[in-house]
This record gives sequence, structure tokens and C-alpha cells, in this order.
Amino acid sequence: MKNANIKFDLHNRSLFERMFEPPAVGKMAPVARVVVYSFLAIWSLFVLFPIYWVIITSFKDAAAVNQGPTYLPFLDFQPTLDAWRINFTADPYCDIAAIARQIYLLGHNSVVFLLSPVISIQPMEPQICKIYLAFTNSIVISIASTIFCVAVGSMAAYALARIQYRPKFGNIMIFVLLIVGVILTTTYAGVPWWMSSAVALALFFFLARSIGRHFKMSLGNGDILFWMISQRILPPIVVVVPLYVMFQAVQLLDTHIALILLYAVANLPIVVWLMHDFFANLPMELEESAQLDGATRFGIFWEIVMPLTRPGLAATTLLILVLNWNEYLFAVFLSTVKVQTMPIMVAAKNTGEKGVLWWEMCAVTVVMIIPVIIMSVLLTRFISKGVLLGAVKG
Amino acid sequence: MTSGGARASVKFDAVQKSFGDVKVLEEFNLEVEPGEFLVLLGASGSGKTTALRILSGLETPSAGRVYIGDHDVTEMLPKYRDISMVFQSYALYPHKTVAENIGFPLKVKKLDKATMDAAILDAARQVQLEPLLDRYPRELSGGQRQRVALARAIIRRPLVFLMDEPLSNLDAKLRGHMRAELKHMQGTLGITTIYVTHDQIEAMTLAHRVAVLEKGVLQQLASPAEIYNDPANLFVAQFIGSPAMNVIHGALEGNKFMTNGTMVKTKVKGQVPQAIAGVRPEDCSVCEPSKGTLKGEIYTTELIGDHTLVTVNWGSDQIVVKAHKDFDGKQGDEVGVILPPENLYVFDETNGERIR
Repeated sequence: MKNANIKFDLHNRSLFERMFEPPAVGKMAPVARVVVYSFLAIWSLFVLFPIYWVIITSFKDAAAVNQGPTYLPFLDFQPTLDAWRINFTADPYCDIAAIARQIYLLGHNSVVFLLSPVISIQPMEPQICKIYLAFTNSIVISIASTIFCVAVGSMAAYALARIQYRPKFGNIMIFVLLIVGVILTTTYAGVPWWMSSAVALALFFFLARSIGRHFKMSLGNGDILFWMISQRILPPIVVVVPLYVMFQAVQLLDTHIALILLYAVANLPIVVWLMHDFFANLPMELEESAQLDGATRFGIFWEIVMPLTRPGLAATTLLILVLNWNEYLFAVFLSTVKVQTMPIMVAAKNTGEKGVLWWEMCAVTVVMIIPVIIMSVLLTRFISKGVLLGAVKG
Repeated sequence: MTSGGARASVKFDAVQKSFGDVKVLEEFNLEVEPGEFLVLLGASGSGKTTALRILSGLETPSAGRVYIGDHDVTEMLPKYRDISMVFQSYALYPHKTVAENIGFPLKVKKLDKATMDAAILDAARQVQLEPLLDRYPRELSGGQRQRVALARAIIRRPLVFLMDEPLSNLDAKLRGHMRAELKHMQGTLGITTIYVTHDQIEAMTLAHRVAVLEKGVLQQLASPAEIYNDPANLFVAQFIGSPAMNVIHGALEGNKFMTNGTMVKTKVKGQVPQAIAGVRPEDCSVCEPSKGTLKGEIYTTELIGDHTLVTVNWGSDQIVVKAHKDFDGKQGDEVGVILPPENLYVFDETNGERIR
């Protein structure tokens, strides 16, 4: 049954409609409108000019860049596709077939990785020019780690917002000791990492049940949250060398899985911290009501909580996605050939002998910007207000 | 509709609940008959909502057992208890339509679509919501949201029906209307209902029996008429009735109540040096200053419509009398008040207990 109010209803519109709906236009006085719009226009120039600059620079050659600032193609300088050619077509492996082969290889190699503890197959070496490789790497690593990070992080945040934890101090000590044990056995005794981890996990459950329960001191949810966010206080450079050694020990250097896991873990505190706030602000009665109606905890999370925190989830996802996309430090340490990402490609244009190849760097940068713009446009449509309207009292 | 009008009894057996050092419920015992409409009445902080939440399983008692029917449900998860609850805030799912909201309890049971649709229509019909099934909660008025919450609660035909101040967010007129509908619906369905409120009028009008709570202790459990006519203590006497019962401080000597040097005859006997006489405004009447039991100065008069409330100063106390609407006394006038001995309740001031 349709009714007159339906036009106020965001949820009845399809995804497609929501992405292209016009922005709301307030009723403003003409003068105010002129002032506001001219301010916005000036501000847009400020924001958009660097992007314009990057784009035109990618169509310059060395001479045009070195001559000094020129702004207008065809008038100020003669545009050329040299920078693009060098990056994207100069290599024999740069064609559609190469991209298709690369995607197939990614699938193949991840299956190989998953089965590696069980059977041994050699991952295939990709044969593709560097920029396509880096682009697919960036896409795969940032999307996979974002999904992983947001999924795990929001579940953790929900648990912290709704369940009171009182972890015993003794159990935490046991956990830390076992991790030390895993590292020692893996590095010095040559035990496979997955084997020592499994043993440590089993030991932890056993010890926590037997010894750990006798400890009196315990922590609360606030402590856990603070501990998580405190992991972001140290600059990442501090952990880069230990991480390198660790991934070397488990033979995961220069693999997708290493960067995916690392990015996910590094950004987990941000997701937990942000999503915790969204979950904590949801009215408790909704979940209690669903509980009484017979829904399971996971069902409540999926059916009630997630749809209502969608704006927060979209904002968090976008933030993490951009952080992962731009990440340089970990990538430069942990990847050598196979999993180099776009930021490394950009940085590589700052060569030692020939100086900074601005025109080539800008061509790579343009390619790097486009996916972020697309994702932002798609996701900001979900960052709408008023989702909770009508939930409790009114 | 899984179980057609099953009726279950409910029993609280010495239930205690404390949050940290705060005792919310102390030795709470209550038995609810199958099919009964029981109202838990009390001021905020009296523990009535806690009792309801313990029955629903959203809280666990610190001690004691809870039974639904013959089953001990003390440790049972809420979803297995087969109860539904209407929250004060309605707790509608804002991203679901009215139909989806109502159907949610069946959806989690994974019923097939045809059965579900029929049940949703049936439940919606009972609360007159059929034209609104495609709307979202934010497009509904307060009363309509209330109905959605009700429909969602009745669709499952639970063993027990819990309501936590369901009418307190509605305006006065709608509240009266929904009260009547609630009572009618409970009478039709015959589902055991426990209803929490702080509004004594709701308690009086809806309940088969009223349980009055104060500071986590059950004060009286009786029918509305009994609660009104035969209050167990001063708290119950003052909580029930509007305007509230008058209290007059004094002393009980034999079958006489001495106050401000005046003697009032009582039906009860005893020696209580610190006593309180309670009398309802509707049982008192005003008269000539010389003829009344007491004589005092009019503090104020309020014309309500069908009657006038006359407040009379008496020592440090004030006595409110429900007088005829044409009463024309003025502020400061002397007036007599008649206190009929048969309607005079006497309480011990030290513990509030009724002297019988």
C-alpha cells in the first residue's frame, strides 16, 4: 500500500536512485545565496586545483615541467602522452590479456597459500608490467584488509559496547607468555608457525581454565578499549623492523596475505573505537526487544544493529579504505617484487640519478586518485542522517 | 500463531536483586494466576521494572527463583521463555516497515511466508493497523507506534505478556482510549499479563489484581477495590486515590483519635501515641463551622467541574474535602469538616502500619 509520505522515505529507494538523488536545496535569500555560492566556488578552486595540477602535469614532458609553471594545455604548453606511455604501454606485458592473467594468478596464488600447510604447490610468478601489478595489488590488499578489518572490528566493538568483560589479569599474563613462547619456538627451534600457534591456543584455554581463574585482579571494558587505541599511539616505524623479522620467520614476506593482515590489524583500533561509539548510542530496548522476540545474538547484530549503524559503518569503511590505499611504510618494507602497491610506484618516480620525474609521477598519481574518488562517491550516499528516527518515543 | 491462547501462571519465589550495594528487590514473592491481568504499581525506583525485567530474562536475580507455568526459568535465556514485552519507548525497528516490525517474532522462527503474512494481517486487524502496514515507524503518530508494538507482542500468542509503562508516552486523551483497548484485548486473548505503571488510575482500571511496590518490598497485593477500600498501610493508602488521602497527625487513645485538642471517634481501638488518621477527600464533607468534627480556615478552593476541592487548614496539616460544585466558601472563611468514623483509617506513624 503506497501512501503520500513515501517521498520522505530513504529506504524505499533503490541503491541506484540513492546514488544520483539531487542534494536538498534550502530556501535562501538571493544575496545570501550569491555570497554562499561564491565562497563555495572559491573554496572548490582551492581544493580542486591540486588535482588539476596533477592531471596537467601528467601530460607534460621534462622540458615543459622544467621551464617553470605553465597552466593551460595547448596555450601554455604542448600536451604529450609520453608519461602515460612510459608507465602503461612501454612494457610488453601491458595489455588486457596481461590483466586477465594477473587476476587469475591472484586467485590461484591465494588458493596455494591457503593450502600451503597441507600440500605444497609453487605459486606462479606473475608476468605483467609493474604498474598493472601494483594497481591490482593495491585494490586487492586495501579492499580485502578493509573488509576483514571492518568485519572483525565492528563485531569486537559491538561486544565491547554490549557485554561486560572482566578479563583476569592472570589470563592476560598467560596469553603474553604464550605469545613469547610461540615467537621463540618459531624463530629458534624452527617449529612451523601454525603448529606452535595451535599448541599455544590450546595451552591458553587449558591454563586460563585451571590457573588463570585463581587470580583476583581483573580489567574492564574501558581498559580493553584504551589498550586497543593505545596501540596507535606509537609511530608505526617502531614496529616495522620486528614485523619484518616476524614475517620473515613465517615466510610471508612479499605476499598479499602479509599486507592484508598487517593493514587489518593496524587499523583495527580505529574501527573498534569509532564503531564502539555508534553501537553504544543505539537504544538498548531495540536489542532487548529482539532478544525477547527470539532472535539470536548474531541475528540481532545482523538484522537490527548493522542496518541502524550503516552510516557509521560507511564512514568507517571509507576512512580505513583510504588509509590502506595510501599506506606506504609497511608496504615498502614488506614487499619487494610481487606485492608492491601504488604508493611505492609513486615514490619510485623520485629516482636517485635522474631526480624526480614529476610528469611520470603525476600519471601514476592520477590512476591512484580515481578509485578513491569512486569509492567516496559511492559510500558517502550511505552516510545519511535520521536512520534512528521513530525507534524509541518521538 | 504457535500456541493458541495458552495460559501460564507466573511465580516469583523470594527473588532478590541488587545492583552493587543498592538493593532493588528484597524477598519479592508474587504469584500470578493464569490469564490474570496483574498490575505492578509503584513510584519510580520502587523495583517494579526490575521485577518485570527479571521475569523477561533481561536481568538475572541475585537470589530466588522465577517460574513460568511449572518451569523454573531463572537461568533460561529470554528467547526461550515465550514471553513478549511492550516497552515504554515501544522499541520499534526503525529500518523495518510496520508489517516487518509486527512479523519479526515470526521471522526469527523461520515460518513460511504465507503463514507469516496471514498472522501479520490478523495481528494488524486486532489493533486497526491494516492501512499502515507499509509505513515506517517514523511516519506514524505516537498512538500508532504504540499499536505496532502491541501487534508485535500479540502476534506470537506468548505465554506471558509484559508491559512496561506502555501508555506513559501518549497524551492524556489517547491514553484513556488505549487503556480501554488494552483491557478489551487482554480480555479477548486471555493471556497472562503483567503490567508495570506508576499511574494509579491505570492500575485501578486495568487490573484484576494490583501489586503495590515500594523500595523493593511488596506492600499489598489485592483487587483494585480492596486496595482502595482496605489499604494495608499508609503508603498504599496515600498512593491510591486522587486527590490523595488526607493525613491528620495525632494520637490514638482507646477508640478516640486526639488531634489538636479535638477528639474524633474511630472504629478501631488501641493506644498509639504517634498515630495518623487517614480519610479520603471524597468521604469528607463541609458544613457549618459549629456542626463539623473539626473546624478550620479555608486555605483555597478549586472548582474541578462536577465538584469543588476545598483545602482546609488544620493545625500543621491540610485537609482536602471533595465538596459540592456549588460550594461558595472563600479563602480565610471558617468552615466545619465532617469526618465519618467508618471511613477513618488509623495508622501507626512510626512504621506506617494500619491499626485494625
